[in-house]
Formats: sequence, structure tokens, C-alpha cells
Amino acid sequence: MATTFEQMRANVGKLLRGIDRYQFNPAYFQTTVTSQILLKALTNLPHTDFTLCKCMIDQTHQEERPIRQILYLGNLLETCHFQSFWASLEENRDLIDGITGFEDSVRKFICHVVGITYQNIEYRLLAEMLGDPLDTQVKVWMNKYGWTENEDGQIFIHYQEESVKPKNIVEKIDFESVSSIMATSQ
Amino acid sequence: YDYHTGDPKADLAYERQYEHQQTYHVIPEVIKNFLQYFHKTISDLIDQKVYELQANRVSSESIEQKIYEIQDVYQGCVKLINSDSRFIMLQKISYSKKKSGFDGFTTAHLMCFMLSDADGPAPLELPNQWLWDIIDEFIYQFQSFSQYRCKTAKKSEEEIEFLRNNPKIWNVHSVLNVLHSLVDKSNINGQLEVYTSGGDPESVAGEYGRHSLYKMLGYFSLVGLLRLHSLLGDYYQAIKVLENIELNKKSMYSRVPECQITTYYYVGFAYLMMRRYQDAIRVFANILLYIQRTRNMFQRTTYKYEMINKQNEQMHGLLAIALTMYPMRIDESIHTQLREKYGDKMLRMQKGDLQVFEELFSFACPKFLSPVVPNYDNVHPDYHKEPFQQQLKVFAEEVQQQAQLSTIRSFLKLYTTMPVAKLAGFLDMSEQEFRIQLLVFKHKMKNLVWTSGISALDGEFQSASEVDFYIDKDMIHIADTKVARRYGDFFIRQIHKFEELNRTLKKMPLTGASSSASNSTSRAT
Repeated sequence: MATTFEQMRANVGKLLRGIDRYQFNPAYFQTTVTSQILLKALTNLPHTDFTLCKCMIDQTHQEERPIRQILYLGNLLETCHFQSFWASLEENRDLIDGITGFEDSVRKFICHVVGITYQNIEYRLLAEMLGDPLDTQVKVWMNKYGWTENEDGQIFIHYQEESVKPKNIVEKIDFESVSSIMATSQ
Repeated sequence: YDYHTGDPKADLAYERQYEHQQTYHVIPEVIKNFLQYFHKTISDLIDQKVYELQANRVSSESIEQKIYEIQDVYQGCVKLINSDSRFIMLQKISYSKKKSGFDGFTTAHLMCFMLSDADGPAPLELPNQWLWDIIDEFIYQFQSFSQYRCKTAKKSEEEIEFLRNNPKIWNVHSVLNVLHSLVDKSNINGQLEVYTSGGDPESVAGEYGRHSLYKMLGYFSLVGLLRLHSLLGDYYQAIKVLENIELNKKSMYSRVPECQITTYYYVGFAYLMMRRYQDAIRVFANILLYIQRTRNMFQRTTYKYEMINKQNEQMHGLLAIALTMYPMRIDESIHTQLREKYGDKMLRMQKGDLQVFEELFSFACPKFLSPVVPNYDNVHPDYHKEPFQQQLKVFAEEVQQQAQLSTIRSFLKLYTTMPVAKLAGFLDMSEQEFRIQLLVFKHKMKNLVWTSGISALDGEFQSASEVDFYIDKDMIHIADTKVARRYGDFFIRQIHKFEELNRTLKKMPLTGASSSASNSTSRAT
């Protein structure tokens, strides 16, 4: 998984530099290419490429269609309003025409967030978050991540207890600090 | 000397006349400025050197020797300027006009152009501090001019006409080109790569790069590019240009304090915008410690001291923001300083006061620029503020996306296990919305953190959040980090103080001292 992320990352770097050119020469600003770059950036979540793109698209262009729509979708993803995201995407399906595997990348991100938050999650809830009204996706993604289904309609992710443990940071006094005191006291 | 009338059209015509001349009897304004700058800097340098040497009781012959050395450098520069045909190109593009915006092509630019288009290594040895100042000044001039260019409100028709007809003055591409060619010429990236892997950089330095002048100009140009990309809002590129520099080590290249501070300011800021909070905090804490320790060195010129002070304040502000978004433990002395300066503001930010975030950001952020030449026919009065507004907007959006997290964090610290629905109730949210916010918490607190490798862009996703949790069906399980009170240190220090006091008392004469001794002991507690 790390390799795929790295590859995407390298590409997005080039794409961001692509934006540079358009930014420097406003006459050549191309809405289509910018939209593509933004959508590509969304597929790289949780990396912050999308946020960094926003820093390089000026306000006027941010308000143009379809950039405004894409920014709205991005916002929904960043704030984990996944159900709203799928609903919104339904109304703007044509936006993602040029990007292969867009929905899969988004689902990958959603599974990432679910994976770090839940130990057991209700089946229905996961299905909703994955934008899966027909129940086709959930099993696919469960398989990908090795998640198993329990009897009571729950999906087991993995044991979180090892990574989420209370920590006690205790003061350590090293020998050197007290040695001088010990030496002078009789 | 003053053949330039101040009227750009006439001046341009005048320049063109002299385009093909090989020798110059008239030294143009900009060159005159250059020589004056050099003369002044050399005088300052001589004064400073003499002072240092006298303070160290160096013999007067040695002092004279030093003065000759410095004057040699000066003569070298003058000779170079007088004999070099690179002048001609500069003539084409330099206009001197007594208004601030048009002094763009100043000494710094002159130097850079000369060196970047050289036909052979210039036989100069200049102190690193100068070289840094040159690059710094170069970018500062570009910054000033860009901002000047965008403020069309108070300009005369003549000025606007001039700007309109000369879009190439201080064009961002040429600025980038100068910096890139200095980088390429010295093969500084190649040298750094070899250096960090333990090899000898000279082996890849090349004809120019082996000279300290070019090597250092190359290095400082990298920092210049970091700054420039940051000013244009491209944070990824900003850090990328430094990918061969190990920012966590004090390498042999970075002995100019202003360069160190500037580098870490921009790197920290870029990390902040990239939502790499842990890295931003680490970088700011380190450089603030550095400034704390080396404060006494900065008495050279008041201007520099003020600048470092300002960056110090700004970085404290940025650190305050980063720590609010991502609470974590940092060095005690820095934390104390931070609480003194921004304690109140941090509290208000924790409570979700967006205005404080924005104010602090406005104070602490770089002076952003637009790389684009404005459309002079259609510029509204606040056009020059737009680059800043753009960055502020991205920042404010991020803050708003995380608006609930601070409150949630404080509630999480109070419990260990609880039904999700119940905690949602305490927070006055629907269960659905609360679950979403918990996802946001996890998502925003897991950032890229640099762990190893040379490039500052490297990193792994980690979360060092003080309070962590997971959701198991309907229950939330919370894990907090408790830090035990540190009393050992305090006791040890007090014991040492008391022993010191005892020793002093024992040395004191007995007569008439007994009453004051007993007073002292009671004060010691």
C-alpha cells in the first residue's frame, strides 16, 4: 500500500507544478485541467495534496464551475461527512468522468478512517459510509482488509487495544543528578 | 553622472544608444549604487574587523594586513565591473528612477545577474554573510516590487503606463531563473547529496562549484527558492527544493544565523499549511531554542537584530497555533515563554475563537505575493491583499473543519469508557454527528511525521495525540496520557542552592554576622 501512495504522491507533485504554470499565466488557466488535478488530489487522501492545491488556485477561479463543486465534495470528505458526499456525488456524476478509480480511491480513504477509529462497527453504518445502497461494495472492502462479520450485524476491524492504551509518563531521575547530592551528604 | 532624467521613455532611449558600446566613460546610476554599496559595506567591515582585532589585542601590522585583504576584494570587484562586457545586458534592463518601486534592479540583482551568466568563475572571495545578504536582498526587492505593482490606487497615469509596457520587469520567471541557475552552476544539490552520504563534495562540484563563492550562493539560492515558493503558496515545492539538506543537523553550510532562522521559519510554516503539525512544532521549538541561546550574538546591526526579533515573535505565534491544533509536550523553557506571550490567545483559540486564529495568522505569516501581473485596466483597491486572503482562507477553512475537536478532546479526558450516545448528549450533538466528529478527530490527528531520511518531505503517518480512543460497537474507550508531576528536579535544584548557601555562610566571619545569617537561612526556604 505504501508503494502505491508514494507513486501517487510523485505524480501529484508534478500535477501541482502543473498548476504553477496556469497560475503564472492566467490567460492559459484551464478549468478542465485544474478540475482533474483537484480530483486526482482527492484520490490521494489522507495526504494533504487537495489542501495544498487550494493554496494555488485564486479566488475567482475557485468560484467557477465545476471547481466549486469539487471543492465542496473535498470539504465533505475532509470533514468525514461520507453519506453526504455520496449523495452529492450522485448529483454531479459527470464531474468524475475523466478519473478512473475515483470512487475506489475514496472508499480506500473511508476504510482508512474507519480502520483507525473502530474496533467493531455496525454493518449498516459501514455500508452507508461506503455509499453502498445495493450492498455490493461492503463485502469487497471487507475482503480487502480482512474484516470479518459477527453474528449480531457487526463487523470486526481489529483489536485496537494494543495501540490505544493509557500512557503514564513518569518522571525519571537519573543517577548523575543525584550523585552530587549523595556525595556531599554523609 | 546623472544622464538619467527620471523619465522612463527618455531613459530607455538613452540606454539603447549605448547598447553596443564596449567601453563606458559614464558609470550608470545602478552601477554607482553598487559601488557605493560595496564601499559602505567594506568600510563597515573594516571598522568591525579593526574593532574585533583591537579587542583581541592583535598587533597593528596584522590589522593593516587585514585591511589590505579586504581592500583587495573591493578592488577585485571594481575591476571586474569595469572590464566586464556583461554590463551590456544589464544596461538593457536597468532603469533607475528615484521612486521605490523602480529601484528594483539594485545591487543585489546586479550581482546575481553578473554571476549567473558568467563565462567563467569570478575570482572573488566574499564572506558568507554578504552572500546571504545578497540573495536575501534580491528576493526582498522582488517582494517589494510585486507589492508595489499591485497597488495601483495611488499611481500616476505615467507610472501605470510604464508598468503596463514593461511586464518583464521583475518577472517571476526571471527571478526563479536566477536562483535556479545559481543552484545549477554550483551543482549544490549534487554536492549536498555526496556530502550527506559521507563522500567528498569536491568530486562533483564542477568548475564553479568548487569555489566557495558559487557553492554558498548555490546553497543560499536553495533557501531563496524555499522562500519564494512559500510566498507564492506552493508549500510542497518549497520544502522539496531543500530535499538534499538535512534540516535536523547543523551542517557546515549553515553558519549564517539569519539563514538558519529564515530557513526554519519557512519550513515550519510550510509544515503547518501541510497539516504536519508535529513536524511544524518540532521545527519551531528547535529554532526558538537556537535563538534563545544565540541571542547575544546578534548585535551587529540594529536592522538585523530587529528582523530576528520579529521572526522570533512570529514563530512563537505559529507555534501557539500549531500547539492549539495539536497539543503535545515541548521543551519546558519554550513552553513557558509561549505561555507568557500567547497564553491568553491560546486559551481563546482552544475555545474556538476563529478571530484570534486569523489575527495570529495575519501577524505571523509571510508576505504572500501574486506571481501574476495585474490587469492594470481593472484593478480594485484591495488587489494587493488577495494572495494573503487566499492563504488565510485555506487556513481558516482548516481551523473550522477542526472546530469541534478541542471541546471533544477536553471531554474525552474526563472519561475512560462510555456509551457513544451518552457522550454525544454531553456535547449537545446528535449521535450521528458525534460519530462523524470522532472520525474527523482521528483523521486530523493522524499526520505525516518525519522520522528518518534526508528529505524533509519524507514521513510516516503517525498520531501522537495525548488523548486517544476507539469505538467498539456502541461504546467509546478512551486512553489518556498522564504526565506525573516533576518534583525531583525541583528538589535537586533547591538542595544544591541550599548547599551553596551553607558553604557561603561557613566562609563568613563570625563577628556581627550571626543575625544576618539567621535571616538568610529563613529566606532560603
